[in-house]
Amino acid sequence: MALVTEERGQASSLSSLLALPFHWFMAALNAPMSFVQRRFGIGGMGVVFLAPNMLIFGVFVLIPVAINVAYSLTGGTAIFMDGRHFVGLDQYRSLLNCENYAIPSTCQEDAFWQSVHNTAFFVVVQVTVLVLAALGTALVLNREMRSRGFWRSVFFFPVLLSPVVVGLIWKWILQRDGLLNAILLDFGFERTLWLAERHWAMFWAIFVSVWAHLGFYTLILLAGLQAIPRDLYEAAMMDGTGRLRTFWRITLPLLWPNLLVVVILALIRAVQIFDEAFVLTGGGPGTSTMFITQYIYETGFAHVLRNLGLASAASILMGIVLVALTALQLAVSNRRAKKEGA
Amino acid sequence: MSDLVLNQVVKEFGAVRILHGIDLAIRDGEFVVFVGPSGCGKSTLLRVIAGLERVSSGEIRLDSRLVNDVSAADRGLAMVFQSYALYPHMSVRQNLAFGLENSRMPKAEIDKRVAEAARMLLIEPLLHRKPRQLSGGQRQRVAIGRAIVRRPGIFLLDEPLSNLDAELRVVMRAELAALHNSLKATMIYVTHDQTEAMTLADRIVVLKDGRIEQVGTPLELYNQPANRFVAGFIGSPRMNFIEGEAAVAGAVSINGRTLPLPGLAAQTGASIVLGVRPHAVTLTAPEDAAIPLEVTLVEQLGAETVLHGRTVKGESFTVTAPGQGRFSIGERVGVTFAPEHVHVFDGEGRVISRS
Repeated sequence: MALVTEERGQASSLSSLLALPFHWFMAALNAPMSFVQRRFGIGGMGVVFLAPNMLIFGVFVLIPVAINVAYSLTGGTAIFMDGRHFVGLDQYRSLLNCENYAIPSTCQEDAFWQSVHNTAFFVVVQVTVLVLAALGTALVLNREMRSRGFWRSVFFFPVLLSPVVVGLIWKWILQRDGLLNAILLDFGFERTLWLAERHWAMFWAIFVSVWAHLGFYTLILLAGLQAIPRDLYEAAMMDGTGRLRTFWRITLPLLWPNLLVVVILALIRAVQIFDEAFVLTGGGPGTSTMFITQYIYETGFAHVLRNLGLASAASILMGIVLVALTALQLAVSNRRAKKEGA
Repeated sequence: MSDLVLNQVVKEFGAVRILHGIDLAIRDGEFVVFVGPSGCGKSTLLRVIAGLERVSSGEIRLDSRLVNDVSAADRGLAMVFQSYALYPHMSVRQNLAFGLENSRMPKAEIDKRVAEAARMLLIEPLLHRKPRQLSGGQRQRVAIGRAIVRRPGIFLLDEPLSNLDAELRVVMRAELAALHNSLKATMIYVTHDQTEAMTLADRIVVLKDGRIEQVGTPLELYNQPANRFVAGFIGSPRMNFIEGEAAVAGAVSINGRTLPLPGLAAQTGASIVLGVRPHAVTLTAPEDAAIPLEVTLVEQLGAETVLHGRTVKGESFTVTAPGQGRFSIGERVGVTFAPEHVHVFDGEGRVISRS
């Protein structure tokens, strides 16, 4: 007993020693904080605490957005505003000037509309495949199985890789003399130009993107599945519910809020697709895998004649789409929070 | 309605044996309560009967039919879960109808059964609500309703009242008893609350460490407990236990005093434990008492007073005295009791019968 007391005494003296620097720090803060509180009053302290963050948010988000809007209303190749001239909504007009939106070649900015078409196709296919694959994976990983932790890690690890690394790894596998062709040749098949043939290039852009992000969405769905009480499945079993009906009538409705969040997050990320696809295909062959973000990057920064105004206008249009999707996601989350709170 | 026979039922989870060869027969229409402390295997036994867990060995027979390998749904049983397990996204009506829809019952028949159950359980105005819009008691009724509509052979109830507050629990207990009377169905009820067991059961099965300690009617268990565990578990406040030793034939020695216990056949000098229920003792002056006590706590319940005390050897002893007695902590009192109210247990806790 005495030994235990002694150990506890040592532990408590060690923790007070470790706490000393914090005590000193807090004591040092006391005087300036008292001054600030006297100056702004208790009601104003909220603003004082928010100010540093608002400053960072302003410098890195609000001001760039304002500059972006300003660029989209001006023309020329100069970077600084004094070298640019006001053109009003001309950049938007040229982006949206199209005889038939379904045929990019009839548009004034055909590359923009090609990238819009590519992005739309990518978003629809990638999000569908990604969500279905994540749901299937989550359902499998939620079952009692040997080495479940290991398999969960296997699916999550790609999420930890940087998109550029993902692009490079798959480029190494898929290029003309890459790993996949080497294996195919070994088995007597012909070499395929996976990244140089437009349908295959789009296929691999979607596949790699699904592979890279699957773990993240699987995790969200897995959390949702684990939140469904086991009792409900046992009640369903007692009620004589078959496996498929249990999935449709119990699992899916209860997973629906998570599924909705996953769909919207995946939509937002798919619209923003750039890095891994750019490293993998460079937008090619031709413009067959060029997405909106790549169009903006190339128009504003990569072309010899940098058209910052057009790029800014395109990014504002894309921003509007993303804001709409984010608002949808927030609305879904709020509805869910309200429902849970009810 | 069905009868159920368990024959040497064993359940193991990996290397851990939870049920050690349970033998039990439950008759058609009986209300049987499984009672025991946490971890005694009562819920596992219920789940094994339900078909939610497979038996490791032994037999389960429903109306003489071996059902070891029959799925939960095909055993014709219904279960009320401790958490109610209502489908949160379905209305009360959908919750009640779900199981019937699974069996492809005609819609008219489903509607009829749902209406009957709702009327019986007074939940008709709640049929359109979702479970989250119901109180605990209402959810409980819906859970019972979900079992009723299936018209099962046996109702299995897994601690169905444990999530309710004390007042509602008493109300629901009475309703369950009334329901059993009106349905005349076989019911198996799991609880750790001996009061629920005593008030509801036709027969109680007392379990400990995966073994049946005793099976009997509530009064059999109260009046003739088979061992010290059952004696201590059944009855509230719990039975007092005083260590002593067998003196000359028909007497015991406790705390240096000799008490006559006619008919006791124990070897002189053998260690024994006396069990006396708090209601079976009478307060008396310390000098005349079989056991003198020092009062450590007084609980005034209005109709009776519960005194907690300590013997000279430091053993705790509880007395339930009728009326509103005035006692103070530290006061010395004595208790006496009639020999016929004394239960005698041997060193291993088995009851020693008296002729």
